[in-house]
Order: sequence, then structure tokens, then C-alpha cells
Amino acid sequence: MVLNVVVCLKQIPNPDLQFQISPDGKDIRRDALNYKLNGADEYALEEAVRIKEKQGGRVVAVTLGPKRTEQMLREALAKGADEAVRIAYDDPSAFDVGKNARLLAAAIRTLPHDLVLTGVQSDDYVNSATGGLLAGLLGLPHASVVTRVVVRERQLEVTCELEGGLQRVYALPLPALLTIQFGANTPRYAPLPAIMKAARQPIKELGPAALGLVGWDSIALPYSFGVRGLSPPAAKGHAEMVTGSVEEQAKRLAQMLRDKGFVRR
Amino acid sequence: MKGVLIIAEHLEGRLAPSTPELITTGRSLAAALGGAARIAVLGSGVRELADRLAGYTLDVLLAEHPALAEYTGDGYVRAVRGIVESNSPRAILVAHTSQGYDFASALAGAMDLPLVTNCLGLDVDGDRLVATRRLLNEKVQAKVEIHSERPIVVTMRPGAEKPMGPGRGMMTVTAVPVVIEPSAIRETFLRLERPQVQDIDLSGADIIVSAGRGIQKKENLVLIEEFAKAIGGVVGASRPLTDMDWLPKTRQVGQSGKTVRPKLYVACGISGAMQHVAGMKDASLIVAINTDPTAPIFEVAHVGFVADVLKLLPATLKELKA
Ligand SMILES: Cc1cc2nc3c(=O)[nH]c(=O)nc-3n(C[C@H](O)[C@H](O)[C@H](O)COP(=O)(O)OP(=O)(O)OC[C@H]3O[C@@H](n4cnc5c(N)ncnc54)[C@H](O)[C@@H]3O)c2cc1C
Ligand SMILES: Nc1ncnc2c1ncn2[C@@H]1O[C@H](COP(=O)(O)O)[C@@H](O)[C@H]1O
Repeated sequence: MVLNVVVCLKQIPNPDLQFQISPDGKDIRRDALNYKLNGADEYALEEAVRIKEKQGGRVVAVTLGPKRTEQMLREALAKGADEAVRIAYDDPSAFDVGKNARLLAAAIRTLPHDLVLTGVQSDDYVNSATGGLLAGLLGLPHASVVTRVVVRERQLEVTCELEGGLQRVYALPLPALLTIQFGANTPRYAPLPAIMKAARQPIKELGPAALGLVGWDSIALPYSFGVRGLSPPAAKGHAEMVTGSVEEQAKRLAQMLRDKGFVRR
Repeated sequence: MKGVLIIAEHLEGRLAPSTPELITTGRSLAAALGGAARIAVLGSGVRELADRLAGYTLDVLLAEHPALAEYTGDGYVRAVRGIVESNSPRAILVAHTSQGYDFASALAGAMDLPLVTNCLGLDVDGDRLVATRRLLNEKVQAKVEIHSERPIVVTMRPGAEKPMGPGRGMMTVTAVPVVIEPSAIRETFLRLERPQVQDIDLSGADIIVSAGRGIQKKENLVLIEEFAKAIGGVVGASRPLTDMDWLPKTRQVGQSGKTVRPKLYVACGISGAMQHVAGMKDASLIVAINTDPTAPIFEVAHVGFVADVLKLLPATLKELKA
């Protein structure tokens, strides 16, 4: 059974970085960030490509974000996506997950979709909400935190992770939406010829009109949303920090382990 | 439109630890709104659970139906839709757990409701709900506000609030009608799978040295093992290491792995993502080693070393042998 798979990919600032807050306090400073494909989305993309390779069909990678996201979409093409679509909503921060999901849903409605995949969470905003919102908005059955997918004709069998290592297994009819968990597979590296080819492939750009909107702000929202402000987190119980050279730090650590009785000798 | 509706989470007759925390949040939010908090229990044969919840001194709505015997997104959305339509709460509180992600967002999508997730705190400011969240691996705090005429769906991060203990009085349990045609539920529950017990059991260990992605290469695990041995500990790990099969799944500490309470926990090259912290925050002594001074692990650690773990551990081993 041939499947049309849509996979939602988000480009995020590398979370290993240190962040500064912009002068207006409404966003982080974005002038010197490096961006990458969101962690869980690497697994969602790989799952999409594997399903296509097994079943036949097409994988369309969709993102909502500024021009810089094209680089991520090319990476997805090089890793096996057949088509890349960018919803050209250029708000660099795009904090409102409800608005993003409604725009993504509007775009997905224009694409054939037997299966929609997202990551379980975006590592920058950690909402874990886009997938479920899309399922609700698109009227699709869904499952979250999925670690295993088996396709059987018009049915899926999926394993969903709960807390503490428990898992629940469900059967779902297609079309359906799944949020894919870290570790669901082993993402591939893009082969060089595919990277070269992807560099020349067109990226489809969707403006508001393509989604039936007058402008980005004309999407109907049942609420108003605002960012009051960003700040460094209030340090709760900050650690006692041990400074100095590695040798000095090692001495302190060894001494502490001895003092507390963790070293028997 | 003043009340707060809390959705209880339970599995195999046991309440999720996040539910009493939601009760705490729900009651203070309801007080700020000038309304009452209620809790809904969905399931089949869960009367006893509902009675137990009534002991937390809030009214319980009991939604029983054979189709709710196991959690499904469709089943829960149907049942809660009915409750929301007849109660019109101002906010619907759900735990930010695996089941919570699945349900809360789908409810918001299906009913076209506002949604804010993974919150650490909630305030009311006039007609606005103000939520405190964390971004970018805990490194930035954000306050966002939502104003709506419709109930706002909120998920609260487990551990953000102290759990409410049962009170003195008993409140009422009201059965609410649930209409679900079996065909309306498209997800079919097949089975629950438990982790296989092999290898060692971390949850009983007194000393754990855990490795994270910061150790860079699988070969460097030898160093972690040597250090653990020197202090009589066992080796644990963050999730990426068990995902990559560097260590068996049984060594994973965190939300989807083991919850540990050792006397000493040494976090080596672990950033301190909320899902990892959920599994180790109650250790008596937490030592963190990380090259990034802004890594959130230093927020839960008692003692922190901004250092390259691949250098600090060999140097410490030398000191210990000296
Ligand atoms: C539903 C769900 C469940 C999850 N369950 C779990 C779980 O149970 N357990 C878990 O651990 N995670 C879990 N995760 C994943 C979690 O979100 C993080 O992705 C994970 O904990 C990150 O692991 P890490 O800290 O090893 O890696 P990273 O976040 O990549 O951090 C590596 C750290 O190493 C530091 N570093 C780099 N080089 C060095 C060096 N030479 N010396 C010292 N430090 C260095 C870096 O500064 C960085 O802070 C879950 C995620 C989801 C969505
Ligand atoms: N701007 C976006 N463009 C495309 N996909 C997105 C976007 N934001 C979120 N997603 C998808 O939704 C998942 C969950 O994100 P979140 O709900 O923000 O935690 C991500 O892993 C992506 O698959």
C-alpha cells in the first residue's frame, strides 16, 4: 500500500549554546546563533523515509519558518524526502504553538497525506503539542511518543512510550498522525551525491494566499497570545561551583569524595 | 466560566503521581479566579479511585464507560468534550506526561481551544492567564499570556508543584453521562508492555556515576566505569547513550527510564534536560561535571564543576590513587 507521508520538521537553535535575551525582553538574541534540525525530527524524518522505502509512496517535508530553514529542508531532501515545502511565515520567534499548528494544518490540508509525522517535542520550546494539535485540527486518529511503527495495509501498529519504561501498543487506521520519539530508529547520513542533488532541488514556498488567508494574522484563533517577557531562570538551588585548574578541581573532588566517605581505602 | 477542571491520570488502578500536584495547582488557580476546582476521572470500574479523590476535598466528576477502560486519545477527547460543554471551566489542567501530551493537545485541536503546555506556574492577571515556562533546555524562562472566551487547556510539568495530600472532609462524586459510539474511537488499545528486567537494577544503587552525550565517544565509557569502580558505584546514563546502544536501556535514568535516589549521583556531560532530572533530582548529593556553565544540571546539582569530564575524571582518579 503506497503511502503519502508528510513529516513536519523544525529548525531550532543549537540548545548547547548560551543564550542572551534581546533588549526588548521578548525574544532571545538571534544574530549569532547556529541552527539545526530539531532532535526528535531527525527520527521522524528517518521513519518517514523508511516507511516510503518499504511501502512505496512519497515523503513531503514541511516546515514553518524563515528563509534560513531552507538549509534544513535541503538536508531532508538529501536524506530521502521527495519534496520540501516551506510555509513562509517569517516570524523569527513564533512562540505561539497554537498559531503555528493552525498554519501547519492549513498547509497539510493542501497536501495528500495518509500519514503525518512530527517529532515528540521541539527542543527549543518543548511544547510537545504540535502533533496532537494537528491531529485534533485535521481530525486524524493519533498516537504520541511513538518508538515503533508497523504498517499493515490500511492499519498501523504503534508502540507508545509512557513513564518508567512502560509502553502501550495501539492499532490505528490510516490516515493517522504520529509523534515520533528519540531513538525510534537510527537516522542515516546523507550520501554526497544526494547532497549535491538536493542543493539544486526547488523548495515550494507557501504564502498566506496559498493557505486561503489574506495575511498571516488572518488565521482564526480562539484566543489572543502574547509574550510578557523572557528572563534568565530564577536560580532555585544553584550548585556550589568549584573553580580553578583541572588539577585543583580534581583535588577538591577527590577530597570531597573522601570526606563524605565514598572512597574506601 | 470561573472554575478549573482537572483531568486525573491513572493506570491499572493507580493514580499518577502528577495528579495530586495538579490538584494543588488547580485549587490555587480556582481561588485566583473566584471559582471552584473539580477533578474528572475517566475510565471503567474506577468508582473507587473517584472516592479516593473525593478525599482531596474537591468535587469529583466520574465519567465511566466500557470504551474508556484503556486510554485512547479519541475516547478521552469525546468524554472530556461532554464535561467541558456542560461545565464551561475557565481552564482545563492536564499533566505534561506522555499521556498528557497526547490528550491535551488533541483536545485543544478538536475543540478549537487555546493551549499552553509544559508550564511551571500559572497566574491570573485580570482577564488573562499568565503561564511560566522554560525554553531552550531550561536556559531561558518565559512568561506568556493568553486571553480567551473559551476554556484554556494547560499542561503542567510534573514536579512543578507540591502534591496535595488528602484532606479531612469528603466531597461529592457525581457520575456524568458519557456517550461514545464504539466506532468513534479509532485507536484500538492492544497491550501494555513492561520493561524486561535484565542487567543491574539502578534503583537500589547507593552511588551512581552517569554518563551523557558530553562523553563524546563510546570508548570513553571505560573512563566512567573506572571512576565508578573507584568510588564503589555503578554506571548510569542519559537517554541518548541508551538510544545509541552504548549501554543497555536498564541503565537509563529519567522520566522514561529509572527513578533513582542514591546517596551520590555524579552527572558526567549531562545537560540536565527536565526528563533526565525527573529521574535523579532526589539523590542526596548531586555532583555535576559539564563544560557549559549555563547547563541546567547545575540548577539541581549540589556541587558543580565547569570542566571537561574527559580531563577531570582522569585527574581525580590520579588523586584518589595518590
Ligand atoms: C518523552 C521523553 C522522554 C525522555 N526520557 C528521558 C529519560 O528518561 N532520560 C534522559 O536522560 N533523557 C530523556 N529524554 C531526553 C532528554 O530530553 C534529553 O534529550 C537528554 O536527557 C539529553 O541527554 P544528555 O544530557 O546526555 O545530552 P545533551 O543534552 O546533548 O547534553 C550534553 C552535555 O554535555 C556537555 N558536554 C559536552 N562535552 C563535554 C565534555 N567534554 N565534558 C563535560 N561536559 C561536556 C554539554 O555542555 C551538554 O550540556 C526524554 C525525552 C522525551 C521527549
Ligand atoms: N515551525 C515548525 N515547523 C514544522 N514543524 C514544527 C514546527 N514547530 C513544531 N513542529 C513539529 O512539531 C513537533 C513538536 O514541537 P513542539 O510542539 O513545539 O514541541 C516538532 O518535533 C516538529 O515535528
